[in-house]
Amino acid sequence: MAEQKKKGKSRISPIFKRAVSHLFTKPATTKYPFVKPQLPADSRGKLVYEIKDCNAIDFGCGPDFRLDIKALRGSNCQVCVRDCPAGAIQIVEVEGKKRPQIDLNKCVFCYQCVETCPRGAIKQSDFYELATTDKGALVMKPEYKNKKEAS
Amino acid sequence: MSNAADMINLLESKFGDRIQIKQGTLEAGAIIANNGLHYDVLKAMIEADEKTGITAITGLDLGDKLGVYYHVHTAKPFFTIKAEVPKADPKIKTVVDIHPGALFHELEVTDLLGVVFVGNELQGHFVLSENWPDGVYPLRKDVDATKVQLVPTPEREANKNAEGRQVKIIIGPQHPALLEPEKFSVTVDGEIVTKVEPRIGYVHRGIEKTAESRSYLKDTYLVERVCGICNPIHAYAFVSTVEKILKPAVPERAEYLRVIALELNRLHSHLLTLGHAGLEIGYETLFQYFWRDREPIMDLIELTSGNRVYGSLITVGGVRRDLNPEHIPKIKSVLEDFRKKMPFYRKLYQEEPTLRLRMKDVGVLTREDALKLSVVGPVARGSGVDMDIRKTQPYSAYDEIPFKQIVYTEGDTWARMNVRMDEVEESINIIEYAVDHLPSGPVRVEVPRSVPEGEAVSSVEAPRGELFYYVKSNGTDMPERVKIRTPTFANIPSFLKTAIGESIADVPSNFVSLDPCFSCTDR
Amino acid sequence: MIDLWLIFRILVFPGFTFILFLTLFCDWVERKLEARIQNRVGPMVAGPGGILQPLADFIKLLTKEDIEPRDTKKLVFRYAPLAAFSIMMFAMCFLPIDGASVISTGGFSGDLIIILAFATIANFLLFMAGWASANPYGTIGSARVLTQFLGYDIPLYLLALTPAFIAGSIQIATIASSFPYILLAPWAFILFIITMQAELEKDPFDVPHSESEVVGGLETEYTGAKLAFLHLTRDVQVVFGSALVVELFLGGPNGPVFFGLDWLFYTLWFVLKLLIVVVISEYITTVVARLRIDQVLTGNWKILLPAALLSLIAAVALATWVYHPFGIGMAVGV
Repeated sequence: MAEQKKKGKSRISPIFKRAVSHLFTKPATTKYPFVKPQLPADSRGKLVYEIKDCNAIDFGCGPDFRLDIKALRGSNCQVCVRDCPAGAIQIVEVEGKKRPQIDLNKCVFCYQCVETCPRGAIKQSDFYELATTDKGALVMKPEYKNKKEAS
Repeated sequence: MSNAADMINLLESKFGDRIQIKQGTLEAGAIIANNGLHYDVLKAMIEADEKTGITAITGLDLGDKLGVYYHVHTAKPFFTIKAEVPKADPKIKTVVDIHPGALFHELEVTDLLGVVFVGNELQGHFVLSENWPDGVYPLRKDVDATKVQLVPTPEREANKNAEGRQVKIIIGPQHPALLEPEKFSVTVDGEIVTKVEPRIGYVHRGIEKTAESRSYLKDTYLVERVCGICNPIHAYAFVSTVEKILKPAVPERAEYLRVIALELNRLHSHLLTLGHAGLEIGYETLFQYFWRDREPIMDLIELTSGNRVYGSLITVGGVRRDLNPEHIPKIKSVLEDFRKKMPFYRKLYQEEPTLRLRMKDVGVLTREDALKLSVVGPVARGSGVDMDIRKTQPYSAYDEIPFKQIVYTEGDTWARMNVRMDEVEESINIIEYAVDHLPSGPVRVEVPRSVPEGEAVSSVEAPRGELFYYVKSNGTDMPERVKIRTPTFANIPSFLKTAIGESIADVPSNFVSLDPCFSCTDR
Repeated sequence: MIDLWLIFRILVFPGFTFILFLTLFCDWVERKLEARIQNRVGPMVAGPGGILQPLADFIKLLTKEDIEPRDTKKLVFRYAPLAAFSIMMFAMCFLPIDGASVISTGGFSGDLIIILAFATIANFLLFMAGWASANPYGTIGSARVLTQFLGYDIPLYLLALTPAFIAGSIQIATIASSFPYILLAPWAFILFIITMQAELEKDPFDVPHSESEVVGGLETEYTGAKLAFLHLTRDVQVVFGSALVVELFLGGPNGPVFFGLDWLFYTLWFVLKLLIVVVISEYITTVVARLRIDQVLTGNWKILLPAALLSLIAAVALATWVYHPFGIGMAVGV
């Protein structure tokens, strides 16, 4: 090995110098959790569900060229339930009305529901620190914030 | 012969009335050949063109018959030989003796559909697990995969230690050398390998069967999850196949954005492989350097699609998100920085003595073996076969973007790694060109949810090689059959050949140069 | 009557405790250096700058469950790691650290050979540790350990004897306090560092530890406290090998002394020179890949052994006709 290194004076691998120069450069590590990385504003993080915008009992959900109106069944909108690839959205009863419940355990954050919802009730956010030790905390139960919203 | 018409004329003159040829369907044409004639047709095609090979063999359930479709690629045109066997007696002649690359495909069709290839019978299971009951074939329409009763694991016969002083070493499902689980039983004589027996199917999730019970919209997300590394290319292949049936007017801007997403994916995948190769030969420093340089690319992927890994950008009819013009300077500056780092890696590959000792003349695959086994991707291009789907059957916007095809002739691990490094540079050129020449306009068109009856195939160039999709629709909003042929599935038989005669210490270095992705292999 | 001073020297300074902490410190230096070369941070949470990380790893392993497979040879499996560790520590006690070796009688003529023999015995015990585990990976790994260290022991002995020939003595303390032999036989220094890389199983001679081929090598079946001692043995071997380089070629603990505190300054010089050798060794480890086992053996029998023989001949020739007539490099009594 020594012979090879001594002979190849003009053909030395560049890594020898690079290794030494790296000792004097700043490391490339982001020291998470002390330093948090900067994410683009439109990255796909946790979903935000605005119950006041949702209208799951309406029939004929508004003009949206991505929907095929004939394919809607029944008198509930529920397009988010139908289009979720992971089956993460279920309908529950809240104050006598049917609303979607999003289970973030199963969600793959594809944002198909964000696109499909004709009223924009499910919105994007870039919050990504969802790790928790309690699975139940990841189920987003729909609830009204005050009486006014419920009417 | 690079002309579809020539091949069709040749076949018609040879076989006359015994076969039917439908020109123009399924790319260049579909040849219906029953009663064992598929063997003769394939033989004639191989003799006419040396670059003929089998891309995939699709098996499907046609009611009272089982269809066995041979998808054959020649130098340029792409044919399909359709054969049918009755369900009651599903026997068909094997083509492994004229084309060894068909081995894995036939075994898979036997396992999943129950077609018996006379001359290439399957013992046990190939892709399904040992707990699967015999006689239940999941891809048949009458089988509900969720209601199958599993049998207890059968008693394994003792690993007979092969003849004489040969020892069987199992590079088992859990092994630090493999990223994903597969089992390779390597028989060694001293230090020289004499035989390799693979057992695949540890990551089999039944995606092809699952896709039949979900709508096309949901399937776009499902097929993306066949592989974590090359996910947009799976989505694109599926979408482009469906678009060949639907024929929507996809806008120009969408095609360019698709190219940008696909090339960013190729960049990050090649950097992953180059780093992983370093890890296998004990060169952790190289691994850390490559993955450090991969991070800005992942940030770019997040910038364009919203997520570092599963971009979910491509959908039927276009792309889901537009590219914000404010992001373009950042994209260009990251690529420019990255381009300045490449000379260091090139020089390293040329000059570093230990790297050359580990990679040169390891796992040599000759050009004729590469053609006979139908290997794809950088494995083929490292052995002198100039096959790149982006050049031979251009798709999306690739026919408008200039780039070079990279071919090396040595055929060893070193050549394959160099192919990938050169492709990294070409990808940077492609992305810069696409970003500079981005046409304006919409990025998406409306498509109906139900797809009319029809079938289509499409081949795209994934980072690991040629990815092939076949979709058959029946007029509803769920597909009838989705067939996926991934590049690693086609490349593993070449490893079974190149490992023989070399030292067992070369097995990791040889294996990682194939760029194996077992999630793709098993689906 | 019990000599408390001797017991203090053996157990605390410069004996067992000091060497233990020196080992953990050198492990931290290695890891930090490797991390910085690879452009990352390395240990940084346990203690200031991560300096307590090796200790934390050791304690963590001590708390883990200790599983013994049924088919292992119990006696060897259980006690080989501890025996190897003890022998290495014992070998370290012969090296002069603070001006005199731990047992403070200045050693005896021939202790160079004895400690090299101890190192070989420790390696052999490690081989038996892997052999006693009922695991094919352990068997292959330990067979590779045996092939490698037995082969490289021969050039090691030859190169270790080069300064001994120039000095005219085979007592380490004498060699250390005579002359920094790197100046008189620099080729032997380079070859010795490379041979030491092979003895310590570091890249490019990392074959016994290659995870991609043999999973864990000889450590595959070890867990818990036994694994902790295997790792510690390996770290002590690194310190031992580097200390041997320091003693033979760099003049041991000798250096300028201030304020008459000879034990303090000798120790400081020793540690400084040790760190220099550790840094050089780790640099070589980081920048190269791992060789195949047949390339390792070719390197030994076809390249290194002839080179070691030539180096010895050159050193003896130079000593007889150049150095000794001018009085350079001859042994200075201790």
